[in-house]
Amino acid sequence: MKKLNILFLLLPLFVLSQEDDLLKEIDDTTVSENYEIAAFKGLKIVNFESTKMVPQKQLYFVVSHRFGSIKTGIEDFFGLDQAVTRLNFIYGITDGINLGVSRSSFQRTYESSLKLRLLRQKKGGIPFTVVLFNTVLLNTALDEEQLPELKFENRLGYTTQVLISKKLNPNLSLQIAPTYFHDNLVAIDEQENSQYSIGIGGRHKLTKRWSINMDYGLHLNRASNSPFKNPFSIGFDLETGGHVFQLHFTNAQPMNTNTFLGQATGDWSDGDVFFGFNLSRVF
Amino acid sequence: MKNTIYRVVVISLILITITLQNSNAQGKYIDRSGKIQFEASEALFEEVKASNESVTSVLDTKTGQIAALALIKGFHFKNSLMEEHFNENYIESGMYPKATFKGQFSDLDLALLDENTKKAAMEGTLKLHGKEKEVRTQISIQKVGDIISMTGEFVVTPGDFDIHIPKIVQNKIAKEVLVKFDFKLIKK
Repeated sequence: MKKLNILFLLLPLFVLSQEDDLLKEIDDTTVSENYEIAAFKGLKIVNFESTKMVPQKQLYFVVSHRFGSIKTGIEDFFGLDQAVTRLNFIYGITDGINLGVSRSSFQRTYESSLKLRLLRQKKGGIPFTVVLFNTVLLNTALDEEQLPELKFENRLGYTTQVLISKKLNPNLSLQIAPTYFHDNLVAIDEQENSQYSIGIGGRHKLTKRWSINMDYGLHLNRASNSPFKNPFSIGFDLETGGHVFQLHFTNAQPMNTNTFLGQATGDWSDGDVFFGFNLSRVF
Repeated sequence: MKNTIYRVVVISLILITITLQNSNAQGKYIDRSGKIQFEASEALFEEVKASNESVTSVLDTKTGQIAALALIKGFHFKNSLMEEHFNENYIESGMYPKATFKGQFSDLDLALLDENTKKAAMEGTLKLHGKEKEVRTQISIQKVGDIISMTGEFVVTPGDFDIHIPKIVQNKIAKEVLVKFDFKLIKK
């Protein structure tokens, strides 16, 4: 009889279990899209391309400026008179394939780029985002009157870069970017045309809308007599809903990968740095 | 003898359980592609608006209870940067991936639904960003064949859910967020 008593005591449980929570019934949807978002908010960390992609069928317009060296002081208003400008349009063919075209006033360079996302960091899955970035550059500033032997191919340059990023926690993202770039014409004879570099960069969120960003490019085969320096940049991102403003200091005035890695003239130890910004707008 | 009684009781309990389950399922209507849209736009500024077209909802016509669930990442904005920002900094969907609602019709006999649209009062609890808020609203409800259609709207504020809007964008985002929903529930 004892068993029976116990059963009667359990009876309310049997009935109660029928009053199933309606919510539980539909709460079977496991969160499928577990991709990490917003490792970087800008398409660039500062100078280096980031692993952020333009989403499908969206068009980004990025205006970048690097003013002249702040070293000159008030004479040309801390570089305001010597600005280099780059206008860049990037279109998302898909979320993983981006095409870009740009024009920079540095050596009147036209550039086109192809950015491909190969892997995407996922919670409990792939630990990194891997993006391939390729560009072709056309230097239109070379003057045929001064360089009579000049051929069209001398104007060209190429970049192939692997961007590997990881969002370590909600505030900190890091990236490493092994880079190969080739300039068909280099500024000094001793410099090899094919050049190698390792880029490192990161973003650390300070508040919900401010982050501090840094990147550095280590050139691996710079000619010993080269006057050019490795680019180091530090800046802040400010995000509002539809824009990202990136404000920074860098010792590289040019903004294409080949040019900021190969032809950065500024020197931090000398206070010879440039103030600049990248401003992106989505259409 | 004791054993027999015991068995009978156990078997009948199991039977009751099964019967109750069946009868429970009978009055249920479900929708897996419901729509929720919210808007917090301010005049002259960029539209702050998103919609989710894969909301799951269920209605128990016997008890008048309703439940709904939306994945936060299912809300899409026109501007992808805005969407990313919404997920990363406001609603923090990495930590709180779901929004849920549990409600009840207080004064409606769901057996009497027909093709004429009726207004009915509904109240319940909306949970998102780890916070809960009581919501009361009037909804329009009608039944055509095996489909029950429900539409309605209500207003919440970011503060209700502990979502802080920074000063710099305060005048670009409305203080009150209008939430609209549209469910077409099909008999289970």
